[in-house]
Amino acid sequence: MAFFRGEQGSVKFDDAGVTTAVIASTRSWSMTIEKDVLETTALGATYKANIGGLIAGSGSVELMYTASSADETKAFITAANTATDQGVASFELFLDTTGTKKISFVGLITSADYGATVGELEIVTCNFVTTGTITTSTI
Amino acid sequence: MAALDLNAIRAVIEGRLATELALAPAIPVVFHNMAYTPTPSSTWVQCQVSFGNNNYVTMGTGAGASNSVIGVAVINIFSPKGVGPGASLIVAKRIRDLYVRINTSGVRFDPPIGPEVVATPSPEGYFQTQVRLTFETFEDL
Repeated sequence: MAFFRGEQGSVKFDDAGVTTAVIASTRSWSMTIEKDVLETTALGATYKANIGGLIAGSGSVELMYTASSADETKAFITAANTATDQGVASFELFLDTTGTKKISFVGLITSADYGATVGELEIVTCNFVTTGTITTSTI
Repeated sequence: MAALDLNAIRAVIEGRLATELALAPAIPVVFHNMAYTPTPSSTWVQCQVSFGNNNYVTMGTGAGASNSVIGVAVINIFSPKGVGPGASLIVAKRIRDLYVRINTSGVRFDPPIGPEVVATPSPEGYFQTQVRLTFETFEDL
């Protein structure tokens, strides 16, 4: 049985939604995929019935600040502060980078938390939401 | 970048100390695994660099991944016995000033620990204090 560890993951991003590139110094990512629940219980029924509704995802990526501007990292941490975001950015969240096991989607970054604490590495946490299809077929 | 060159890090730490202690008033300094016979009732310094915990910093298993490497430089200051701690603290100040909160050649030093008096000097016959310098560097694969 194959098990995976966090260091096997990675994050790729492209704010223009064309060709994704690795976000440098990523420490962690997480994502929640949620489905609306529509109740379809018939009158007089004893038990509730539900069907699935619309699907959406949200999550966050945590990375170390490295002042990098050579790749998509700068675009990633500043995306929350860009005007007229059309929500076309491409995301790829890898569970296993070498095995290309990933969740991919188009979305937008909704917030970025910057911080600096004496004696600790500086961390930037970016939160995102999806727009449109979420692909988990390679998982 | 490649895996860490441990001797390059050691050279950063030891070279800095050797350069400082070569200045007047010069003080002999001896490093790990080196033979040294101290002059009785003299002041001299021993520097021992050791590497400790290595930790994941970023995701990735190969190129582009980073690890944190932590270590400590234990610096023993030996001074004449029975004449008070003054001479030892003068040397300790030179050493503290040399490393406190600096980031040089990719090696970052924390505020120093000490100088602490060592109750049982080794070798005997000296007043011994100890300054410990914890440091961190990053390995970028």
